[in-house]
Amino acid sequence: MRICLTVNGKKQELDSTPGDTLLHLLRRIGYKGVKKGCESGDCGACAVLLDGRVVNSCLVLAAKADGHCVTTVEGLAGQEKTGELHPVQEAFLEQGAVQCGYCSPGMMIAAVDLLAHNPNPTDQEIKEGISGNLCRCTGYVKQIEAIRIAAKKMRKSADV
Amino acid sequence: MALSNLREYVRPDGLDMALSLVKEKGRSARVIGGGIDLVRSSSPDIETLVDLSQLSLSYVRQTDKGIAIGATTTLTEIVEAPVLNNYLQGVVVEMLRQVGAPSLRNLASMGGTLASAHPWSDVITLFVALGAQVTLYNGVTRMVPLSDLYASRALLSPAIITEALLPAYAHGTAAAFMKFSRTKFDIAILNCACLISTQNGDCESVRLTAGGTPQLAALLPEVAEVLLGRKLSQTSIGQAAEMARETTLVRNDLRASGNYRRELVYAGVKRCLTCVSTHLSGASQ
Repeated sequence: MRICLTVNGKKQELDSTPGDTLLHLLRRIGYKGVKKGCESGDCGACAVLLDGRVVNSCLVLAAKADGHCVTTVEGLAGQEKTGELHPVQEAFLEQGAVQCGYCSPGMMIAAVDLLAHNPNPTDQEIKEGISGNLCRCTGYVKQIEAIRIAAKKMRKSADV
Repeated sequence: MALSNLREYVRPDGLDMALSLVKEKGRSARVIGGGIDLVRSSSPDIETLVDLSQLSLSYVRQTDKGIAIGATTTLTEIVEAPVLNNYLQGVVVEMLRQVGAPSLRNLASMGGTLASAHPWSDVITLFVALGAQVTLYNGVTRMVPLSDLYASRALLSPAIITEALLPAYAHGTAAAFMKFSRTKFDIAILNCACLISTQNGDCESVRLTAGGTPQLAALLPEVAEVLLGRKLSQTSIGQAAEMARETTLVRNDLRASGNYRRELVYAGVKRCLTCVSTHLSGASQ
C-alpha cells in the first residue's frame, strides 16, 4: 500500500504494508535517529512527534499515520533552514545530558512536546513529561536540568 | 511484525460502512482506536483493521445530559478539554494525568480504552463509578450504562462504540479517585473511585468501585449501603472502609497478593470517601 507522510516538513509517498509500524518505516527510509528499543511502548527510544504530539512510533501503524506530519530528532535542528540546533538539543549538549545517547532522541522529542504545551514547567512536570522515556545510564538529573534550561531559553527568545 | 496476517487497513467515511466491514469480516476484523493494544498483539486472526478517524468522533463537549466524549478522542485531548476542569472537582482530569506517559495518552482513545476493558483500567474504574453511559452503533444508535457493556460483552458483537457520556450532576455531588501503583503512571495494583450525592448532608446516592482486584472494576453495593442516609463522618467512613475490606473480591496475581489488595481496598475506599467529604464540606461553605 502507498501512504503519504510529511516527515520533517518533507512530503513523501511511501511503500508500506498494513502491519508496518511507523518505527520500521521511518528507519527503513533513513531516519535512524528514531531508535528501536523495546518495541512495546515502554522505553520511549522511538518517540517522534505525530502532528506535534509525542508518540511511541513502535505503537503506531504506518497506515494510521497516513496523511499526517511526523517530526523525528533529525527534524528538530534547523527547522528554519538555519542549521542551528533546537534549544532542547543545545541544552542537552551544554548540560552533558547524554551518556550512551540511545535514549536522547526520544527524550528530546518528549521535551519538545512538553515545552510546546507548557513553556514554564516545574521539575515535577518535566519528570512527568519524560516519564515515558527510560534512560539506563544516568539518573535523569542532567536531562531534567537541560529541559529546565531549554525552557528558560525558549521563553526568553519568545519574549524578544 | 506483530500483526503477521494483517492484510487491510481501512478508513471508512461513514459509520454504516465501518459496521458493515466489521459484520462482513467477523472475528478477522477489529476496530482500531489508538491501536496500542492491537499493535502489540500477536493475534494471527486479525486480517482487517477498521480505523474510525474519518468519522468526526474526536470531541469533548458539554450537552444537556452531561459531557460527551467521542470514541476517537485521545486521552490527552480529554485531559486538555476545559469543560472537564470543573466537572466533579476535576476528578476525570486528575485520574487521566495518572494514566501512562504522555506518549501513550497521545495515542490511546476513549473508545479503545473502553473496548479493551483492561482490568486495571483507571478510566473504567472511575467511569463506572460516575455512572457513565456508552453509545453503541449496530445499525441503530443506543445508549447503555458502561457497566452493562462489561456485564454482557455480547453488546459489542457486532457494534461500534461511538461515544461515552459522563452524566451531569447537581450541586451536592462529589467524586474521588484513588490509585495504587509502583509509580504514578504504572498499571494500577488496585484502584478505587466513588461518587456521592447528598441531600441536607446525608448520602442520598452512593456509587463505589474497585478495579484491578485484579478483576475489572465492579461496584461495591454493600459498601454503598453502609453510607446511604448517613452523613460522611470519621465513623461512617471507617465502617464503609471496613465493609470494603470484608466484602470486596480480591485475589493474587503477579502484581500483588490478595491480602495486600484487601488492605488497599480498605485504604482506597477510606481515602476516596475522605476526599469526597472534604469536597462536599468545601462546597457547602
